[in-house]
Amino acid sequence: MGVLFSYFKSLLGAREMRILILGLDGAGKTTILYRLQVGEVVTTIPTIGFNVEQVQYKNLNFQVWDLGGQTSIRPYWRCYYSNTDAIIYVVDSADKERMGISKDELFHMLREEELGDAILVVLANKQDIPGCMSLKEVHQALGLEALKNRTFQIFKTSATKGEGLDMAMEWLANALKNKK
Amino acid sequence: MYTLLHGFYKYLVQKDEYCVLILGLDNAGKTTYLEAAKTKLTKNYTGIHPSKITTTVGLNIGKIEIAGIRLNFWDLGGQSELQSLWDKYYAESHAIIYIVDSSDRDRIDDSKETFDKMIANENLRGVPLLVLANKQDIPECMGVREVKPIFNKNAHLIGKRDCMVMPISALTGDGVDEGIKWLVDCIKRNSFIRPARNHEEN
Repeated sequence: MGVLFSYFKSLLGAREMRILILGLDGAGKTTILYRLQVGEVVTTIPTIGFNVEQVQYKNLNFQVWDLGGQTSIRPYWRCYYSNTDAIIYVVDSADKERMGISKDELFHMLREEELGDAILVVLANKQDIPGCMSLKEVHQALGLEALKNRTFQIFKTSATKGEGLDMAMEWLANALKNKK
Repeated sequence: MYTLLHGFYKYLVQKDEYCVLILGLDNAGKTTYLEAAKTKLTKNYTGIHPSKITTTVGLNIGKIEIAGIRLNFWDLGGQSELQSLWDKYYAESHAIIYIVDSSDRDRIDDSKETFDKMIANENLRGVPLLVLANKQDIPECMGVREVKPIFNKNAHLIGKRDCMVMPISALTGDGVDEGIKWLVDCIKRNSFIRPARNHEEN
Protein backbone atom coordinates (compact mmCIF):
# COMPACT_ATOMS: atom_id res chain seq x y z
CA MET A 1 0.00 0.00 0.00
CA GLY A 2 2.75 2.36 0.97
CA VAL A 3 4.62 1.51 -2.20
CA LEU A 4 1.56 2.28 -4.26
CA PHE A 5 1.08 5.55 -2.48
CA SER A 6 4.63 6.68 -2.96
CA TYR A 7 4.42 5.69 -6.60
CA PHE A 8 1.46 7.98 -7.12
CA LYS A 9 3.16 10.67 -5.16
CA SER A 10 6.15 10.48 -7.47
CA LEU A 11 3.82 10.80 -10.45
CA LEU A 12 2.52 14.06 -9.10
CA GLY A 13 5.99 15.51 -9.42
CA ALA A 14 8.75 16.26 -7.03
CA ARG A 15 8.32 18.58 -4.13
CA GLU A 16 9.67 22.02 -4.61
CA MET A 17 13.09 22.45 -3.03
CA ARG A 18 13.49 25.27 -0.63
CA ILE A 19 16.75 27.16 -0.84
CA LEU A 20 17.97 30.13 1.15
CA ILE A 21 20.55 32.57 -0.16
CA LEU A 22 22.36 34.11 2.79
CA GLY A 23 25.44 36.22 3.35
CA LEU A 24 26.53 39.65 4.50
CA ASP A 25 25.14 42.79 2.92
CA GLY A 26 26.71 43.67 -0.40
CA ALA A 27 27.86 40.11 -1.08
CA GLY A 28 25.73 39.87 -4.20
CA LYS A 29 22.82 37.70 -3.08
CA THR A 30 20.09 39.51 -4.98
CA THR A 31 22.22 39.70 -8.13
CA ILE A 32 22.74 35.93 -7.90
CA LEU A 33 19.03 35.26 -7.39
CA TYR A 34 18.07 37.16 -10.52
CA ARG A 35 20.99 35.76 -12.45
CA LEU A 36 19.55 32.33 -11.70
CA GLN A 37 16.01 33.29 -12.50
CA VAL A 38 16.19 35.50 -15.56
CA GLY A 39 19.82 35.04 -16.52
CA GLU A 40 20.55 38.75 -16.51
CA VAL A 41 22.20 41.27 -14.25
CA VAL A 42 19.56 43.46 -12.70
CA THR A 43 20.17 46.68 -10.84
CA THR A 44 19.65 45.97 -7.18
CA ILE A 45 19.25 48.02 -4.07
CA PRO A 46 20.07 46.74 -0.57
CA THR A 47 17.41 44.20 0.33
CA ILE A 48 15.37 45.01 3.40
CA GLY A 49 13.17 41.98 3.94
CA PHE A 50 13.40 39.32 1.26
CA ASN A 51 12.99 38.43 -2.39
CA VAL A 52 11.53 35.09 -3.27
CA GLU A 53 11.46 33.55 -6.74
CA GLN A 54 10.73 30.22 -8.40
CA VAL A 55 13.75 28.95 -10.25
CA GLN A 56 13.76 25.94 -12.55
CA TYR A 57 16.97 24.09 -13.13
CA LYS A 58 17.27 20.70 -14.80
CA ASN A 59 13.69 19.61 -14.08
CA LEU A 60 13.99 20.62 -10.48
CA ASN A 61 11.88 23.35 -9.02
CA PHE A 62 13.52 25.57 -6.52
CA GLN A 63 11.91 28.12 -4.33
CA VAL A 64 14.75 30.51 -3.68
CA TRP A 65 14.67 32.98 -0.83
CA ASP A 66 17.10 35.85 -0.81
CA LEU A 67 17.19 37.44 2.62
CA GLY A 68 18.56 40.88 3.45
CA GLY A 69 22.08 40.74 4.83
CA GLN A 70 22.46 43.91 6.83
CA THR A 71 23.57 43.61 10.45
CA SER A 72 20.25 44.75 11.87
CA ILE A 73 18.18 42.25 9.94
CA ARG A 74 20.44 39.19 10.15
CA PRO A 75 18.72 38.02 13.35
CA TYR A 76 15.57 37.46 11.28
CA TRP A 77 17.23 34.86 9.07
CA ARG A 78 16.25 32.20 11.56
CA CYS A 79 12.56 32.77 10.92
CA TYR A 80 13.08 31.20 7.50
CA TYR A 81 15.12 28.16 8.47
CA SER A 82 12.46 25.46 8.74
CA ASN A 83 12.19 22.93 5.87
CA THR A 84 15.23 24.33 4.12
CA ASP A 85 16.89 21.87 1.73
CA ALA A 86 19.97 23.88 0.93
CA ILE A 87 21.76 27.06 1.81
CA ILE A 88 23.68 29.14 -0.66
CA TYR A 89 26.08 31.23 1.38
CA VAL A 90 27.50 34.15 -0.56
CA VAL A 91 30.79 35.77 0.38
CA ASP A 92 32.34 38.88 -1.12
CA SER A 93 35.85 37.60 -1.90
CA ALA A 94 37.17 41.15 -2.18
CA ASP A 95 36.01 42.16 1.28
CA LYS A 96 38.87 40.84 3.37
CA GLU A 97 38.05 42.90 6.45
CA ARG A 98 34.65 41.41 6.95
CA MET A 99 35.60 37.77 6.29
CA GLY A 100 35.67 37.18 10.04
CA ILE A 101 32.15 38.50 10.49
CA SER A 102 31.02 36.37 7.58
CA LYS A 103 32.55 33.32 9.23
CA ASP A 104 30.84 34.04 12.53
CA GLU A 105 27.47 34.46 10.86
CA LEU A 106 27.94 31.24 8.92
CA PHE A 107 28.78 29.16 11.97
CA HIS A 108 26.09 30.81 14.03
CA MET A 109 23.62 29.81 11.36
CA LEU A 110 24.86 26.24 10.98
CA ARG A 111 24.44 25.61 14.69
CA GLU A 112 20.68 25.78 14.24
CA GLU A 113 19.08 22.38 14.51
CA GLU A 114 16.58 23.12 11.76
CA LEU A 115 19.41 23.37 9.28
CA GLY A 116 20.95 20.07 10.33
CA ASP A 117 20.21 18.32 7.03
CA ALA A 118 20.66 21.27 4.73
CA ILE A 119 23.30 21.08 2.04
CA LEU A 120 25.71 23.98 2.00
CA VAL A 121 27.07 25.74 -1.04
CA VAL A 122 29.53 28.56 -0.47
CA LEU A 123 29.97 31.02 -3.29
CA ALA A 124 33.19 33.00 -3.25
CA ASN A 125 31.64 35.80 -5.25
CA LYS A 126 33.11 38.86 -6.97
CA GLN A 127 36.00 36.91 -8.43
CA ASP A 128 36.13 39.51 -11.20
CA ILE A 129 37.63 42.06 -8.81
CA PRO A 130 41.44 42.11 -9.03
CA GLY A 131 43.22 41.18 -5.83
CA CYS A 132 40.30 39.24 -4.40
CA MET A 133 40.87 36.17 -2.26
CA SER A 134 41.38 32.80 -3.93
CA LEU A 135 39.21 29.79 -3.29
CA LYS A 136 41.64 28.38 -0.80
CA GLU A 137 41.98 31.68 1.04
CA VAL A 138 38.21 31.98 1.34
CA HIS A 139 38.03 28.35 2.50
CA GLN A 140 40.57 29.06 5.23
CA ALA A 141 39.18 32.45 6.21
CA LEU A 142 35.75 30.92 6.73
CA GLY A 143 37.22 28.01 8.67
CA LEU A 144 35.31 25.51 6.55
CA GLU A 145 37.52 22.63 7.67
CA ALA A 146 35.57 22.69 10.93
CA LEU A 147 32.48 21.43 9.09
CA LYS A 148 32.80 17.71 9.44
CA ASN A 149 29.23 16.47 9.35
CA ARG A 150 27.86 18.23 6.37
CA THR A 151 28.30 17.92 2.64
CA PHE A 152 29.43 21.23 1.28
CA GLN A 153 31.15 22.67 -1.71
CA ILE A 154 32.73 26.03 -2.45
CA PHE A 155 32.68 27.69 -5.86
CA LYS A 156 34.27 30.75 -7.41
CA THR A 157 31.64 32.96 -8.96
CA SER A 158 31.17 36.31 -10.52
CA ALA A 159 27.48 37.08 -10.46
CA THR A 160 27.83 40.14 -12.68
CA LYS A 161 29.69 38.17 -15.34
CA GLY A 162 27.65 35.03 -14.75
CA GLU A 163 30.67 32.82 -14.18
CA GLY A 164 30.67 29.78 -11.96
CA LEU A 165 26.97 29.84 -11.12
CA ASP A 166 26.11 27.05 -13.54
CA MET A 167 28.67 24.75 -12.02
CA ALA A 168 27.42 25.50 -8.54
CA MET A 169 23.79 24.89 -9.48
CA GLU A 170 24.65 21.72 -11.32
CA TRP A 171 26.38 20.35 -8.25
CA LEU A 172 23.55 21.47 -5.99
CA ALA A 173 20.91 19.91 -8.23
CA ASN A 174 22.75 16.58 -8.15
CA ALA A 175 23.33 16.73 -4.43
CA LEU A 176 19.67 17.47 -3.78
CA LYS A 177 18.46 14.73 -6.09
CA ASN A 178 20.73 12.36 -4.29
CA LYS A 179 19.63 13.38 -0.84
CA LYS A 180 16.00 12.38 -1.32
CA MET B 1 11.30 5.54 33.52
CA TYR B 2 11.00 6.63 29.94
CA THR B 3 14.49 8.08 30.03
CA LEU B 4 15.83 4.85 31.44
CA LEU B 5 14.22 2.72 28.74
CA HIS B 6 15.13 5.18 26.07
CA GLY B 7 18.72 5.20 27.25
CA PHE B 8 18.78 1.42 27.30
CA TYR B 9 17.32 1.25 23.80
CA LYS B 10 19.91 3.70 22.59
CA TYR B 11 22.64 1.65 24.21
CA LEU B 12 21.43 -1.43 22.36
CA VAL B 13 21.17 0.12 18.92
CA GLN B 14 24.14 2.43 19.18
CA LYS B 15 26.97 1.61 16.85
CA ASP B 16 30.58 2.55 17.15
CA GLU B 17 31.38 5.29 14.74
CA TYR B 18 34.67 5.59 12.86
CA CYS B 19 35.90 8.20 10.42
CA VAL B 20 37.57 7.33 7.14
CA LEU B 21 39.34 9.95 5.10
CA ILE B 22 39.43 9.58 1.31
CA LEU B 23 42.47 11.30 -0.20
CA GLY B 24 44.43 11.37 -3.43
CA LEU B 25 45.32 13.72 -6.25
CA ASP B 26 42.61 15.53 -8.15
CA ASN B 27 40.84 13.38 -10.74
CA ALA B 28 41.91 10.17 -9.00
CA GLY B 29 38.28 9.19 -8.56
CA LYS B 30 37.66 9.86 -4.87
CA THR B 31 34.07 11.07 -5.20
CA THR B 32 33.24 8.33 -7.69
CA TYR B 33 34.67 5.82 -5.24
CA LEU B 34 32.56 7.19 -2.40
CA GLU B 35 29.44 6.97 -4.54
CA ALA B 36 30.33 3.41 -5.58
CA ALA B 37 30.87 2.41 -1.96
CA LYS B 38 27.59 3.96 -0.90
CA THR B 39 25.74 2.27 -3.75
CA LYS B 40 27.18 -1.13 -2.93
CA LEU B 41 26.73 -1.05 0.79
CA THR B 42 23.54 0.92 1.31
CA LYS B 43 20.17 -0.57 0.53
CA ASN B 44 17.97 1.30 -1.92
CA TYR B 45 20.60 3.84 -2.72
CA THR B 46 21.37 4.87 -6.26
CA GLY B 47 24.42 7.07 -6.42
CA ILE B 48 25.05 10.16 -8.48
CA HIS B 49 25.73 9.13 -12.03
CA PRO B 50 29.53 9.20 -12.56
CA SER B 51 29.18 11.59 -15.48
CA LYS B 52 27.62 14.14 -13.16
CA ILE B 53 30.42 14.15 -10.64
CA THR B 54 32.44 17.35 -10.80
CA THR B 55 35.66 18.48 -9.16
CA THR B 56 35.30 18.55 -5.39
CA VAL B 57 36.23 21.75 -3.64
CA GLY B 58 34.85 21.15 -0.23
CA LEU B 59 33.66 18.03 1.46
CA ASN B 60 31.42 15.13 0.57
CA ILE B 61 30.28 12.91 3.37
CA GLY B 62 28.95 9.41 3.29
CA LYS B 63 27.74 7.07 6.03
CA ILE B 64 27.86 3.32 5.71
CA GLU B 65 26.83 0.71 8.22
CA ILE B 66 28.80 -2.47 7.94
CA ALA B 67 29.69 -5.35 10.24
CA GLY B 68 28.15 -3.72 13.28
CA ILE B 69 29.94 -0.39 13.00
CA ARG B 70 29.25 2.85 11.26
CA LEU B 71 31.79 4.34 8.89
CA ASN B 72 31.78 8.03 8.29
CA PHE B 73 33.55 8.92 5.05
CA TRP B 74 35.10 12.29 4.35
CA ASP B 75 35.93 12.89 0.72
CA LEU B 76 38.08 15.99 0.28
CA GLY B 77 39.19 17.96 -2.75
CA GLY B 78 42.52 16.80 -4.16
CA GLN B 79 43.78 19.82 -6.07
CA SER B 80 47.27 20.83 -5.02
CA GLU B 81 46.15 24.08 -3.41
CA LEU B 82 43.61 22.18 -1.33
CA GLN B 83 46.03 19.56 -0.07
CA SER B 84 47.13 21.85 2.73
CA LEU B 85 43.65 21.51 4.20
CA TRP B 86 43.89 17.74 4.57
CA ASP B 87 45.80 17.77 7.84
CA LYS B 88 42.89 19.42 9.64
CA TYR B 89 41.14 16.06 9.48
CA TYR B 90 44.02 13.78 10.41
CA ALA B 91 43.61 13.80 14.18
CA GLU B 92 40.03 12.57 13.97
CA SER B 93 40.51 9.92 11.28
CA HIS B 94 40.50 6.21 12.01
CA ALA B 95 41.64 5.12 8.55
CA ILE B 96 42.88 6.58 5.28
CA ILE B 97 41.86 5.51 1.81
CA TYR B 98 44.36 6.84 -0.69
CA ILE B 99 43.21 6.70 -4.29
CA VAL B 100 45.63 6.54 -7.20
CA ASP B 101 44.78 7.04 -10.84
CA SER B 102 46.54 4.00 -12.34
CA SER B 103 46.05 5.28 -15.87
CA ASP B 104 47.97 8.51 -15.22
CA ARG B 105 51.61 7.47 -15.51
CA ASP B 106 52.79 11.08 -15.70
CA ARG B 107 51.56 11.90 -12.24
CA ILE B 108 52.21 8.66 -10.40
CA ASP B 109 55.37 10.10 -8.84
CA ASP B 110 53.48 13.19 -7.85
CA SER B 111 50.86 10.99 -6.21
CA LYS B 112 53.55 9.04 -4.38
CA GLU B 113 55.17 12.24 -3.06
CA THR B 114 51.83 13.49 -1.78
CA PHE B 115 51.29 10.11 -0.13
CA ASP B 116 54.67 10.26 1.61
CA LYS B 117 54.02 13.74 2.85
CA MET B 118 50.70 12.65 4.25
CA ILE B 119 51.93 9.55 6.08
CA ALA B 120 54.81 11.48 7.59
CA ASN B 121 52.29 13.47 9.60
CA GLU B 122 52.44 12.73 13.31
CA ASN B 123 48.65 12.69 13.69
CA LEU B 124 48.34 9.72 11.39
CA ARG B 125 50.62 7.45 13.36
CA GLY B 126 49.16 3.96 13.59
CA VAL B 127 46.26 4.65 11.26
CA PRO B 128 45.51 1.88 8.72
CA LEU B 129 46.20 2.84 5.11
CA LEU B 130 44.35 1.46 2.12
CA VAL B 131 45.89 2.40 -1.22
CA LEU B 132 43.56 1.83 -4.14
CA ALA B 133 44.89 1.57 -7.66
CA ASN B 134 41.80 2.95 -9.33
CA LYS B 135 40.63 3.01 -12.93
CA GLN B 136 41.46 -0.65 -13.58
CA ASP B 137 38.75 -0.56 -16.23
CA ILE B 138 41.08 1.41 -18.51
CA PRO B 139 42.97 -1.13 -20.69
CA GLU B 140 46.48 0.34 -20.57
CA CYS B 141 46.50 1.27 -16.90
CA MET B 142 49.14 0.12 -14.44
CA GLY B 143 48.21 -3.05 -12.62
CA VAL B 144 48.54 -3.52 -8.90
CA ARG B 145 51.91 -5.21 -9.46
CA GLU B 146 53.24 -2.00 -10.87
CA VAL B 147 51.65 0.35 -8.36
CA LYS B 148 52.50 -1.62 -5.26
CA PRO B 149 56.31 -1.33 -5.44
CA ILE B 150 56.05 2.41 -5.99
CA PHE B 151 54.07 2.90 -2.81
CA ASN B 152 56.03 0.39 -0.78
CA LYS B 153 59.36 2.11 -1.44
CA ASN B 154 59.27 4.10 1.75
CA ALA B 155 58.46 1.25 4.06
CA HIS B 156 60.10 3.05 6.97
CA LEU B 157 57.49 5.80 6.75
CA ILE B 158 54.66 3.31 6.75
CA GLY B 159 56.17 1.60 9.78
CA LYS B 160 53.93 -0.72 11.73
CA ARG B 161 50.75 0.55 10.17
CA ASP B 162 48.44 -1.81 8.33
CA CYS B 163 48.94 -0.97 4.70
CA MET B 164 47.39 -2.61 1.69
CA VAL B 165 47.40 -1.90 -2.03
CA MET B 166 44.37 -3.14 -3.95
CA PRO B 167 43.15 -2.82 -7.52
CA ILE B 168 39.70 -1.36 -8.03
CA SER B 169 37.50 0.30 -10.54
CA ALA B 170 35.26 2.87 -8.90
CA LEU B 171 33.39 3.23 -12.16
CA THR B 172 32.30 -0.39 -12.40
CA GLY B 173 32.43 -1.03 -8.66
CA ASP B 174 34.90 -3.90 -8.92
CA GLY B 175 36.90 -4.41 -5.75
CA VAL B 176 35.15 -1.69 -3.79
CA ASP B 177 33.64 -3.85 -1.05
CA GLU B 178 36.73 -6.06 -0.60
CA GLY B 179 38.73 -2.97 0.30
CA ILE B 180 36.18 -1.73 2.77
CA LYS B 181 35.95 -5.14 4.42
CA TRP B 182 39.71 -5.19 4.90
CA LEU B 183 39.57 -1.70 6.32
CA VAL B 184 36.80 -2.57 8.77
CA ASP B 185 38.89 -5.40 10.20
CA CYS B 186 41.88 -3.09 10.60
CA ILE B 187 39.83 -0.36 12.22
CA LYS B 188 38.35 -2.82 14.71
CA ARG B 189 41.77 -4.23 15.53
CA ASN B 190 43.13 -0.73 15.90
CA SER B 191 40.29 0.52 18.07
CA PHE B 192 42.20 0.24 21.32
CA ILE B 193 44.60 2.89 19.99
CA ARG B 194 42.01 4.94 18.18
CA PRO B 195 38.70 4.40 19.95
CA ALA B 196 35.40 5.04 18.19
CA ARG B 197 34.05 8.50 18.14
CA ASN B 198 31.04 8.35 20.38
CA HIS B 199 28.03 10.23 19.38
CA GLU B 200 25.92 11.17 22.36
CA GLU B 201 23.03 12.50 20.33
CA ASN B 202 22.72 9.41 18.15
